Amino acid sequence: MRIGEIVESTSTHFVAESLDLGRPPELGRLVKVHLAEDRDLCAVVCHGETGSLDPGRRAVRRSTEEVYDDQVYREHPQLEHVLRTQFTSLAVGVIDKEVVHQGLPSQPPPLHYSVHGCDEEETTRFTQDLYYFRLLLGVPVRIPVELVLAGHLRWVYRGRGHDEEWLQVAAREVAKLLKQDYERLATVLYAIERDT
Amino acid sequence: MRRTRLGLVTGGTFKTGLGVRLDADCTTEDLRVGEMVVIEGASNRYFGMITDMQLQATDPRLLASPPEAGSTLLAQALTGTVNYATVEVKPMLMLELKADLDEQRGPGPVRTIPMHFAALRKASAMDFDTVFGKEGGTNFAVGTPVPMDIPIRLRLDRFVERSNGIFGQSGTGKSFLARVLLCGVIRTRAAANLIFDMHSEYAFDKQTEDGHFVRGLRDLFGPQILVYSLDEGAAARRNVDVTLAVGLNQIEAEDIMLLADELDLTSTTAATAGLLGDQYGKEWLRQLLAMSADDVAEFCQSSGAHPEATRALQRKLRGVQRRAYLKEEAPFSLIDEMVAALGRGRSIILEFGRFDNPLDYMLVANIVTRRIRRLYQQKMERFEETKAETDRPPQLVITLEEAHKFLNPAVASQTIFGTIAREMRKYNVTLMVIDQRPSGIDPEVMSQLGTRVTGLLTEERDIDAVFTGVGGRSFLRGALASLDTRQQVLLMGHAVPMPVVVQTRTYDEEFYRAVGSSGSWTEDREINATDIWGKKQ
Repeated sequence: MRIGEIVESTSTHFVAESLDLGRPPELGRLVKVHLAEDRDLCAVVCHGETGSLDPGRRAVRRSTEEVYDDQVYREHPQLEHVLRTQFTSLAVGVIDKEVVHQGLPSQPPPLHYSVHGCDEEETTRFTQDLYYFRLLLGVPVRIPVELVLAGHLRWVYRGRGHDEEWLQVAAREVAKLLKQDYERLATVLYAIERDT
Repeated sequence: MRRTRLGLVTGGTFKTGLGVRLDADCTTEDLRVGEMVVIEGASNRYFGMITDMQLQATDPRLLASPPEAGSTLLAQALTGTVNYATVEVKPMLMLELKADLDEQRGPGPVRTIPMHFAALRKASAMDFDTVFGKEGGTNFAVGTPVPMDIPIRLRLDRFVERSNGIFGQSGTGKSFLARVLLCGVIRTRAAANLIFDMHSEYAFDKQTEDGHFVRGLRDLFGPQILVYSLDEGAAARRNVDVTLAVGLNQIEAEDIMLLADELDLTSTTAATAGLLGDQYGKEWLRQLLAMSADDVAEFCQSSGAHPEATRALQRKLRGVQRRAYLKEEAPFSLIDEMVAALGRGRSIILEFGRFDNPLDYMLVANIVTRRIRRLYQQKMERFEETKAETDRPPQLVITLEEAHKFLNPAVASQTIFGTIAREMRKYNVTLMVIDQRPSGIDPEVMSQLGTRVTGLLTEERDIDAVFTGVGGRSFLRGALASLDTRQQVLLMGHAVPMPVVVQTRTYDEEFYRAVGSSGSWTEDREINATDIWGKKQ
């Protein structure tokens, strides 16, 4: 199912405009881009934002005493056309003819290509190997990557049907990667713990 | 064969030992300090001992705020990644692995170390066989490693060819261990034994502290054991073969030196015995005891001895003279027959009956041993001339309790035991000393003890003493401190290729069967003179 279209593309990440205003894919979710017949680029959503289409203009208050929240959108249908939601995704690997290769893609994905959500089967297949955690922790992003990682782990855990064993293995992998920095590690692990 | 990996070598030096990082799923509580472990290098296999354990963390901030009580996910993720354990392993033996099995030799001294990431694993039964040897010949199982059920064998042929020591504070089971070792030596015929049994515990059944009875060596080995006694009364009650009498003529000046403490003599007084010996030769003691006041004065004039010292010596020795086992004169043949029996591979236990005090023990042990060693010396000298196998006197091990009384620095240079200890195997006579105060033994003698079997020791001086002359003592201290108070010993020295912590064999029915005795020898069998001395009486 298409959830977005790529509007910026680099070797490490791409920015896509969400098809649904105000509803980008969840933080940490796995998404994919069909590069070719059997080739999908996989990426992890690490940021979302909604704002004015025109970078010069900013959103203004439109609610009143009687009209607020979702009623604002019904009252002002033109908002659909002046606002847009974007989400950023970090590239983590490619699935080529059903074989998973984790790492940066050799080329950035083409602009205007569609972004799709990954289903349960694709998620399970991709997350068998946890090497891609290094990519998530290595690339600089705008929000603390520990929180993205925590979100991602929670999402995958649910997506794999509450797979306790995977969660434990993933937690150890994160611990190995962040062993020099206990505070960052604790941020990730406590975040997951509270939720599961 | 499953070999469980414990961790990987991550550091260390040849001198101090190797550091191993334990795998995440291996806990320190599965291992013991003093345990034998194996490191698989690329071309060598290293047999070593765990000497230390440490807990580490990659980020010290973890230690300041450890995981909260309910955080199982966190704790589990951290173990083995952020917080991990390391153990120090000291390699003691190295086996060069050869592709061609025909070229494979046994383990030898360590000459190199493995590279990083060599695997550490627990020792298996095959490893113990490789290091300690298989059952058979003079290899005798003395126990098992602490958590396992694999036999550890002592090479009794090497055990008996040097003097040895059994140490440990009281209650650590030294006399049981001595029994196990003696049974091994007798069973494998590694040597003939002469046991100076101060408290009459080795020959016949004895009741232990816990109330049950343990079998004596005579019960287990029958006519192979001869029981002598000093105490005629006790001899009548028990199944003793010979009552030993000692004569005043057999007491020499050196015996008085040895007994100076027990008799409460000053060194001058003790030295007077030497002067008497110079003057009167072999008859010195009888002369002294017979002296009147005038005779004493006359003697002191001529020899330069101190009159008061001489009188004091006379007084003290008159007290000794009254002992029931001391006769005016006793033939040396009694002792010579002992040597004949020992020559035929018998073992002799000398019980002291009611004379179980240090004074009598030391006096008689010294006299008997002196005579025996003299005979052995003659035999060895003859053997060296004739080079005929039949002339070679069999290896003799003399078991001695309260060894520090015989081998303390003050007397070690003067007594026959000190001499034997220092001579090593020159005349095929060695000692097995049992003691709870190794610090009381002369360091030079101590360093001559080939094999040391030590139970738990807590006094620093004793611990230092027991490691005198042993290489790598700093590693072994940890192992010694880790011993249980009963039935666990650290075995090190000549008779074992590497030091090892052993849970000693229990001296029980299973053991009796294992050493091959079929029923009790005491009541039912008739032991006749031909059996014992091999000639018609």
